[in-house]
Amino acid sequence: MSEAGSTQHAERRLSLLVTVLAFALPVVFVLVPLAIFLGYSFFSVDQGTIVYGLSLGNYVRFLTDPVFLPVFWNTIVLCVSVAIICILLAYPAAYFLTTLKGRWRYALLMLLLVPLLMSYVIKIYAIRSILGLNGFLNKALVALGILQEPSTLFVFNMNAILLTLTLLLIPFAILPIFLSLERIPQVLLRASDDLGASGLQTFLRITLPLSLPGVASAASFVFVLAIGDFLTPQMVGGISGFTFGRILYSQFGTAYNWPFGAALSVALAVVVIAAILVGERFGRNRGTSV
Amino acid sequence: MGLKKAFLRLATIGLGIGLMTSAALAANLRVLAWDGYADADWVKDFTAATGIGVDVVFIGSDDEIWAKIKGSEGQDFDVFAVNTAQLQRYIKADLVSPIDVTKLANQKEVLPRFRDLTAVSGVTKDGKVYGIPFCFDSIGLIYDTDKVKPAPTSMSVLWDPAYKGKVLAYDNGEHNFSFTALTLGYKDPFNLNEQQMAAVKAKLVELKRNVLSFYTTADEAQQIYQNNDVALIWANYGQQQVKALQKIGAHVAYVNPSEGALAWLDNWVISKGVRDNAAAEKWIDFMLSKKVGGELSERTGFGNTVTETGSAGGNDTLVWLNNVEDPLKRSDMWNEVKATP
Repeated sequence: MSEAGSTQHAERRLSLLVTVLAFALPVVFVLVPLAIFLGYSFFSVDQGTIVYGLSLGNYVRFLTDPVFLPVFWNTIVLCVSVAIICILLAYPAAYFLTTLKGRWRYALLMLLLVPLLMSYVIKIYAIRSILGLNGFLNKALVALGILQEPSTLFVFNMNAILLTLTLLLIPFAILPIFLSLERIPQVLLRASDDLGASGLQTFLRITLPLSLPGVASAASFVFVLAIGDFLTPQMVGGISGFTFGRILYSQFGTAYNWPFGAALSVALAVVVIAAILVGERFGRNRGTSV
Repeated sequence: MGLKKAFLRLATIGLGIGLMTSAALAANLRVLAWDGYADADWVKDFTAATGIGVDVVFIGSDDEIWAKIKGSEGQDFDVFAVNTAQLQRYIKADLVSPIDVTKLANQKEVLPRFRDLTAVSGVTKDGKVYGIPFCFDSIGLIYDTDKVKPAPTSMSVLWDPAYKGKVLAYDNGEHNFSFTALTLGYKDPFNLNEQQMAAVKAKLVELKRNVLSFYTTADEAQQIYQNNDVALIWANYGQQQVKALQKIGAHVAYVNPSEGALAWLDNWVISKGVRDNAAAEKWIDFMLSKKVGGELSERTGFGNTVTETGSAGGNDTLVWLNNVEDPLKRSDMWNEVKATP
């Protein structure tokens, strides 16, 4: 009896411990750092040292200085474009995958996801070589006669960031779209066929609406990852591809203006959280109506 | 019981050895230096020549040196290496002792530009010498000898429309403001007034329009050079960068601009807590020997103060890096330059 009691006791203690850990980990590693970050955004810097007095100065500067808002807006436009292009490319790919049978489907999906196993920096380096003036893309276009001579259109500007981010983030768009397409019951498609709908009609009236939740979460994934990235713009953006991430990054290096950097991060976080909420809400509404 | 006794004996022996080694260490010269400034073979030669043992601790950043020296108020080290921009901070905090240059025989043999230490900005204060220059490199201009003719003599070539889209600049506001100030002919590039700042900023916006991209690491610049049509590189990494490019077969050469090249300069200094001043002087003198200087340049690619190297010709003007008036402001203005369409 007593032995059974003590095991029960131990079990209860274990489950309590697990519960505490489950709550403590996100609090300690996510909420507390975020709160510290938020706190920092109200401090200021004087002569290279942080002044721990509360002020709204950083936010006022962000909203009134002519430098930050335009860059912020351009960056949002850029990342929305990346998300749209990713979706346009990923949708046909994901659709094609669902038409495959059996093991081919998953083998090909794995192949599309393989780039995620590679280091981010190495991929950027590789893409930058491809886009360069003596790079593969230019050589191919010249060899095919599409271009007379190598062009600098593809590297060290906004186009380069757009291309690179799209390439890097496409796997994140394929996966959710593929999952939502795969979840569509085959019976619905067959019923539509039986009732005399054409392939296009079936796609437009059944497949597409039912896959929109996947599209929504894919778009918010890609947007969030793109807007938080400073490395890609830094490495392929050159002189005209100046993004918000690069401004943010510069606050933490030589400038040593952590409080202002924190305030800029908060602005970024607001947009990111909004994007996630929109993506999730849109996705869920459509999902439950199935 | 027997075991306990054996244990005690072992502990006593261990304690004895520990005391002996710490006694031996106490007599050693304690050196704090960057990797490459106190190689094992030099240390061995030094000990063989003087009978003084040496303990070297290597550091990785300016902040680390400050933390180590300030943390112990100079008591933990006898000699250390810092650059001219940093040294004044140590003098102000009373962490370093003045050096009697007459005790350093080799200092009389150094390159002309380092012979009169009062002329080297940053190493003296109130007539006393606090730092002995040892190692330096300039931030010059790398140019492609096939594409840039005639050979450039001034940084103003970076603004030449003939090289539009073929210029690689460095992504750092502080340095960019300093070198542009020199190009504009300002005397003190590290202390600019409002008007000068505005002029430099306008000039940098012009530069930006002539530039292909900004780089941060030497590797990055090299990769961009390989995949694009690059004619000119503002060489933040000096000789190391030139040599790395030449190694991959690039036809490049290096020049220090006539208006003066920014350059960093590392010095040996004696800490406030030095235990044996004579030993510290011997170390510095040994480091100024032709053999060590030559080997240092051979191994690291940096210039030394004793023998001629590619870092600077005898007539080149070098402007030793110093603290700038307001790093934060320069960084903000650099962002504004980058954000200007």
